[in-house]
Amino acid sequence: MNRLSLTDISLKVWAVIVFGFLFAPIVIIIIYSFNEGRLLVAWNEFGFGSFATIVTKPAITAAVLVSIQTGFIASLIATALGTMAGVALARRAGKWAPWFLILLVLVTVTPEIVDAVSLLPWMVFLGQDVGLSMFDNGIVRLVVGHSLFSTAVVAYIVRSRLIGIDESLEEAAADLYAPPFRRFTQITLPLVMPAVLAAGLLSFTLSLDNTIVSAFVQVSGTTPWPVYVLSAVRSGLRPEIAAVSTIMLLLTLGALALVAYVLRRAGDSATDIAKTVGGG
Amino acid sequence: MTVTVEDRAAPDPGVRVAPARQRRRWKLPSFALAIPAWAWLFAFFVAPVALVVWFSFGYKPGIFGTHANDVLSLDRYAEALSPTFFSTFQNTLWVGVVGTLICLVIAIPFSYWLAFKAPVSRRGILLAMVMIPFWTNFLVRTIGWQIILAPSGLLSTALQSIGVLDQPLEILFTRTAVLIGVVYNYIPLMILPMFVAFDRVSLPMREASKDLGAGRWSTFINVTLPLAKPGIIVGILLVYIPLMGDYITATVLGGAKGNMAGQMVANQFQTAQNWALGSAMAVVLVLTILTTVAIAALVSWLATWPLRSRQRLVLGDKS
Repeated sequence: MNRLSLTDISLKVWAVIVFGFLFAPIVIIIIYSFNEGRLLVAWNEFGFGSFATIVTKPAITAAVLVSIQTGFIASLIATALGTMAGVALARRAGKWAPWFLILLVLVTVTPEIVDAVSLLPWMVFLGQDVGLSMFDNGIVRLVVGHSLFSTAVVAYIVRSRLIGIDESLEEAAADLYAPPFRRFTQITLPLVMPAVLAAGLLSFTLSLDNTIVSAFVQVSGTTPWPVYVLSAVRSGLRPEIAAVSTIMLLLTLGALALVAYVLRRAGDSATDIAKTVGGG
Repeated sequence: MTVTVEDRAAPDPGVRVAPARQRRRWKLPSFALAIPAWAWLFAFFVAPVALVVWFSFGYKPGIFGTHANDVLSLDRYAEALSPTFFSTFQNTLWVGVVGTLICLVIAIPFSYWLAFKAPVSRRGILLAMVMIPFWTNFLVRTIGWQIILAPSGLLSTALQSIGVLDQPLEILFTRTAVLIGVVYNYIPLMILPMFVAFDRVSLPMREASKDLGAGRWSTFINVTLPLAKPGIIVGILLVYIPLMGDYITATVLGGAKGNMAGQMVANQFQTAQNWALGSAMAVVLVLTILTTVAIAALVSWLATWPLRSRQRLVLGDKS
């Protein structure tokens, strides 16, 4: 009994240490967003000055707005494309399905830096050589870059949700002469709605946080906030960077809490939610 | 990745004379709904990556050009693997392998605790606490480490005040700092699949092992760990692959000169404007990742070969 509890205690101590490790930098960022000093790293005194600076610096507000705008459009595109693909994979998988899954897996495992360096010349090519001037637009570039990974994630989530649902309702609708489109909008879509919503919110947070692809495809004038922060890393970090990070953290956590709530309502256990949010 | 509904849902080309219901159900080809996503990913993932592969066989034409492909050669690959850049690939591999191993060592006991020892009622909260760092902006949490590890930062001041150090901590902008950063940044990707895998190992299996006289350690090594193996492998891949392509951690914690392949690729595209060389480096990076994963898979397959036949008898019935 003694030896047993010793293992348990050491496991518990380990868990506490790991949680400390996981939260250390986040807590630090939140604390340092109240730093009144001139430089982020050197703590001066407590105050709200950095939050006031955000409002007065148009570059920061503009960057946050670009991010939210991009996140909104990118998550809509990814959700639409990914949901359709997920439904097709779960309900109408044919010989094409394994190939399509391989494509999705490739999209998810390719290092982001490779995506980023490929998209840059491609956007330049489409915009200047082919003459599709829409690809010179910063928002369009960001939306395209952010939607790729998210489309794959949405497809995984919708597919795995739909595979877990019996097809009998859809078959019943077909027996009652519902045409395919109505069957899709009135039966299939409501059934996967929790997964679609959750996946959509996940794409939104993914887009909000995307740094690497954004840094490459962005056009000056439409800089999303992580790229603004990245350029500040090079030129010198100031407390308002921590302040804007704290605000964006709250936004992301809000979106995630919503995901958890939607999935909970749909009857998922904590483990299922972990699987969904952890990317399948 | 098996598609179990496949047979039932697949359209049968031979059902021309089938009842009306059958015809109406599969009017469109089965992949119709996947076409938009397919086209989108083709236009903005497959095509650009193919273009980069194409660039990698070209050259940089002059100071102002970024790429040219009128003469094709493998010279850019030779250049990418020349001693100057090769050491960066070596360093990336070192950080990748050591970082993944450290993640493994931290995550196994932690996920075990989360799956078996943590109070079930609080598990949702605990999982959420693992996910919060994961969903905090990657760059922001790395900046958090910069504050902690800076010579005038928190850790340095604390260690100096308790007398462990007598001078400021000189760890920022070194390989150690990058290692701490990548372990931190990718470890949730190890913990989550591992937790799910441990969670799936049913209690009866473990109890049966104990009833048959196995101790805790022996149960863990012979029953729990082999059953959780798929999840552990997923975790390793989820950590190792993005870690090898890391760009941000190395930029924030590794300093301007940088030591990771991701940074090197980025530099060729952003600063040096040599897209041909950058493309070749990107291809080498992806090939390095694929090769090392294949080698690791082969080694672990060979290493467990003597054990496998024995374990299949024990665990073969578990479906």
